[in-house]
Amino acid sequence: MDVTAIIFLTSGLVLGWSLGANDGANVFGTAVGSRMLRFGTATAIGAIFVVLGAVVSGAGATEGLTELGAVNKLAGAFTVALAAAVTVAGMSRIGMPVSTTQAIVGGIVGWNFFSGERTDVATLLTIVSTWVAGPVLGAIFAIVLYRLTALVTRVVRLHLLWVDHLTRLGLVLAGALGAYSLGANNVANVMGVFAPTTPLPTVTVAGVTIPALQQLFLLGGLAMAVGLFYSRRVMLTVGRGLMPVNPIGAWVVVVAHSLVLLMFSSRQLESWLLAAGLPGIPLVPVSSTQAVVGAVIGVGLARGFKSARQIRVRLLAGIAIGWVVTPLIAALLCFFMLFFMQNVFGQDVHQAAPTSASF
Amino acid sequence: MKLSPFGQTRALTSQIDEFLDQVSESGLVLAQAYERYVEQGVDDSSEQRLQQLIDLEARADQLRRSIQTTMYSEMLIPESRGDVLGLLHELDDLVDRFKASFLTITIEKPEIPVELREDFKSLVESMGQAVDHTVRAARAYFRNYREVRDLVHKVSYFESESDRIAIRLRKAIFASKLPIERKRELREGVLRIERMANAAEDVGDRLTICAIKRSL
Repeated sequence: MDVTAIIFLTSGLVLGWSLGANDGANVFGTAVGSRMLRFGTATAIGAIFVVLGAVVSGAGATEGLTELGAVNKLAGAFTVALAAAVTVAGMSRIGMPVSTTQAIVGGIVGWNFFSGERTDVATLLTIVSTWVAGPVLGAIFAIVLYRLTALVTRVVRLHLLWVDHLTRLGLVLAGALGAYSLGANNVANVMGVFAPTTPLPTVTVAGVTIPALQQLFLLGGLAMAVGLFYSRRVMLTVGRGLMPVNPIGAWVVVVAHSLVLLMFSSRQLESWLLAAGLPGIPLVPVSSTQAVVGAVIGVGLARGFKSARQIRVRLLAGIAIGWVVTPLIAALLCFFMLFFMQNVFGQDVHQAAPTSASF
Repeated sequence: MKLSPFGQTRALTSQIDEFLDQVSESGLVLAQAYERYVEQGVDDSSEQRLQQLIDLEARADQLRRSIQTTMYSEMLIPESRGDVLGLLHELDDLVDRFKASFLTITIEKPEIPVELREDFKSLVESMGQAVDHTVRAARAYFRNYREVRDLVHKVSYFESESDRIAIRLRKAIFASKLPIERKRELREGVLRIERMANAAEDVGDRLTICAIKRSL
């Protein structure tokens, strides 16, 4: 295997690290922010499950992303991931909320423009529609879960300390589920662009064959896991930023967020829906941040008007602007970076005929 | 975070229940002690009741400290920890007042005129009811905070009743032909009991706020 190939993967790894550092907060931010879980416990659980999610269920959303544009040269994939990573880092630095999903989608569209490849408008529209559906579903799940939880606590009449104990347990389980779904859905953002040109060979260890794609997902998952350990500040911002959330609200937010991410990554769910004659759910990477924002608003609405008016509208508006600006910046940046990559560094960033492997 | 085993939560729940038992029992012992004192004056039984109050107060103190340490060291109920510990502190203060009040009685031994005894007993009973409903409201806060409001309303009712009886008693004391130093001594006794009912109401007010915070 070429060393250059490994170097090219670094942009994906940086993107994975950045995703872990930013979006890990979506999984555990409310729990750590409300002081129900310690940062160390949260990240340890998150690291294990994000890797598991990426390796076991990462393929579904990756296929969806590849349909948008199969970046068919490794140097091109490197540039797309780098443009997304720079966009995410830049937006984070100026304090704008940012979605890695939108950055990578913008990057792929930028590559399509540069290479003259057709952007599959239907897939693009599907992905863009999930940017609306993600937060809306997050809010709906949160409202239903919050109401159900409130009903159960009213009927069961648990002692305050038992509520605390079970909420902590629930946050650990929900966090594990959240980290798994983050790995399953968002590894596509990190390693999806490398899937058509993966430089890794298939290896067999102790009679078990590990396909190249699986190794890519493992690397992506590990990068995300490392990123989680750098997410303390963002966790505290997410936990206390948008709206004050109590520990039960924190649990609801994490579960609602995880359900949204799982919906858009689960092949099983898609096949069940299709078998039942229902429309399938597109398997595409969705923004974890959007799902969490939707869920936090859902909790606010479920708690009634008095709570809903505590939602910081200005912060919400900032998030919305970030969602529009991110893909545009990533697309433009990717276009110019591809130009430099091709004309200054002499790298092939695309080839006319699509191929499954360049190396 | 330490994922505390179920045993730890169970133990802490029992400690809180036991603490509330101590407060409740102190209120009952004090009411009985006062009732007997009004009838019989200070006797062996008064000393026994005083000792009971001292023991109950010591145990309540010990439990409150233990609960406080566990809550902080295990980072339990971060949202309500301040409220819970503040509540336990005020209830503990109430038990301290019970002991101090009856200790003063056993030392000073003020004699209660026969014509004032019924009102004294009513005052003690109202104070006892206010304390009893305060402890019930505190239990409700932990298990079913929606009941807190009703119970605190009853605390306020018995506190108002105590105020009413106390005013009547003070008027009767100063309308009597007792020497001025005895009048002042009896007035102090009335005020001491009334202050305990007021303290119970203060705990009730705190509980109302705590319950509202839990409901948000």
